[in-house]
Amino acid sequence: MPSVENMTTAPTLAGTAQPQHVGFRRQLAIDTGFTVLGFPLAIVSFVVVVTGLSIGLGTLVIVVGLPILAGTLFLARLFADIERLRIPAVLRLPRTRPMYRTSEPGDGVWKRIFTPLAQTQFWLDLVHGIVHFPIAVAAFCVVVSWWAAAIGGTLTIAWDWSIPRGPDNQSLAQLIGLGDSTFARVGLQTAIGLVCLVTLPAVVRACAVVSAGFSRALLTGVAEMRQKIIVLTEQKEAAVSAEVTALRRLERDIHDGPQQRLVRLAMDLGRARQQLDSDPDALRDTLDEAISQTRDTLDELRGLARGIAPPVLTDRGLPSALAALASRCTVPVELAVDPELGTPTGRLNPTVENTAYFAVAEALTNVAKHSGAANCRVTVANGPGRLALQIVDDGVGGAHAAKGHGLSGLTDRVRATGGTLTVVSPAGGPTEIGVDLPC
Amino acid sequence: MLRVVVADDSVLLREGLIRLLTENGHDVVAAVGDGPSLVAAIEQHRPDVSVVDVRMPPSNTDEGLRAAVEARRRVPRSPVLVLSQYVEVSYADDLLADGAGAIGYLLKDRVAAIAEFLDALDRVASGGTVLDPEVVAQLLVRRRRDDPLQELTPREQEVLALMAEGRSNTNIARTLVVSDGAVEKHVRNIFSKLVLPPDDEQHRRVLAVLTYLRG
Repeated sequence: MPSVENMTTAPTLAGTAQPQHVGFRRQLAIDTGFTVLGFPLAIVSFVVVVTGLSIGLGTLVIVVGLPILAGTLFLARLFADIERLRIPAVLRLPRTRPMYRTSEPGDGVWKRIFTPLAQTQFWLDLVHGIVHFPIAVAAFCVVVSWWAAAIGGTLTIAWDWSIPRGPDNQSLAQLIGLGDSTFARVGLQTAIGLVCLVTLPAVVRACAVVSAGFSRALLTGVAEMRQKIIVLTEQKEAAVSAEVTALRRLERDIHDGPQQRLVRLAMDLGRARQQLDSDPDALRDTLDEAISQTRDTLDELRGLARGIAPPVLTDRGLPSALAALASRCTVPVELAVDPELGTPTGRLNPTVENTAYFAVAEALTNVAKHSGAANCRVTVANGPGRLALQIVDDGVGGAHAAKGHGLSGLTDRVRATGGTLTVVSPAGGPTEIGVDLPC
Repeated sequence: MLRVVVADDSVLLREGLIRLLTENGHDVVAAVGDGPSLVAAIEQHRPDVSVVDVRMPPSNTDEGLRAAVEARRRVPRSPVLVLSQYVEVSYADDLLADGAGAIGYLLKDRVAAIAEFLDALDRVASGGTVLDPEVVAQLLVRRRRDDPLQELTPREQEVLALMAEGRSNTNIARTLVVSDGAVEKHVRNIFSKLVLPPDDEQHRRVLAVLTYLRG
């Protein structure tokens, strides 16, 4: 299971994603570059891959084909890697590369040859090398023509004089019956040029997206799906682990709390019955104790019930529930919660509410128990699609979310919802706990 | 008067036990809250009996059991009465493994019936075996097929189960509503069917119970 340190590096990974808003001129340049460069690349990879595949398959019967096929697959992967580098700029996606199994240092020659042959992604790369060719060519043709028409057409007035006009020469304007005047000829061509110029960004974008989208499906689609499965599996494991931890703790809390008190109560009542005959004076004290024992038991049961499903959270939502939490904390808490979260329309789904509540509860418990802080600040901000919690205290620091520490149960709980937990707590403080929940 | 060591990590229960024992004329020589100190206390004080909680620090698992077993390795046959919120047969097995008797294993709640609790304490201190009726009930379910106990009649099994709870013949007779003589006859039959050599009565009872437990 990855530790929290791994999770804190997640933002830097996201940082490799392309910026979401690119000026249209810049995007036009990117898309044009992509399709224009795609043409020679597609030719080279098509020629190499088709040749390698043909020779490999043709010589398969005399075994020589196997290493040739393996070599071709590696070349196909090389071209695929180049393509994978080019895709992100067009599709505005983070860069991904599928996992390739590599051969072990000790493997024999044949094992090394079979390593690529046995992997789906290698063959997908090879298919890409062949099938992407016509798409790249078509995209290239459309983009180059459109650029030519846009520039050439718009500037007709500048070069029209230089075209020699023989007697049999007929312009487009003449053919569609606009007459043979210079005005009609230049006007029509300029009009076409302007139309192309206006539509240029959209058309070039479409070509680049179709070409890159096709490549992506073949080259990283499978890898992305696998990555998603890994993430989901981890989430599921975290959910199970969080539940197990929570149940064990509940058992322990019941055992150490109400169960002990009830045993003691039973003991005291037993003594009381004895004292009924032997020592009526002591009886009063014993019964008083028994009554206070009962009260304490009830308090503990209430506390436990609150720990399982806090009623105020269910009834009133996060702002009220967190306010109640803050008021019970022994360290003064400055609370800033988006009040929208308490209104009937602004309430989040129960899982997110619960996780957020317990994250704050756990963090505050930690603050009260270990930090020695004099002040604590809790901020809950509701952004689009995510809920951001922040718990900051001015204590001694040194908090840790690794297994066996107070916050470890929280890590699983947050991960189970697909969120992240970050703990920044240098020795000497301050401690800053950030929880980010998707909602 | 017994010299008692009390081991429980909950101050609440430790205090309660100490008061209860003191009020009834026993002498609590040491009260401890974790496994290692229990072993040390038994070694140092050699008490007549120790009252031990199962779940204690440092491991917060079955620390009390392991400490009791360890203490009895160092001080053989030192009587131990284990109290627990849960009674499980596998825990009882651990305790009885050395075959020495002088073991009790009761649900914590039984303490409330003070007279019976004190009686159990006395019997453990004098070398008997006292098991919680719940453990005995679990054992009845766990019987194997090729079992010497199969030869016992249902009535004799009943008597043996009550012996396992640590009851005296008189007590058994009262529970089953039969005469003392009838119970004595059943007990003799049990001893001979389980091939237990004539020895002192107390030790034979322990052995019979152990056979029963390991069935």
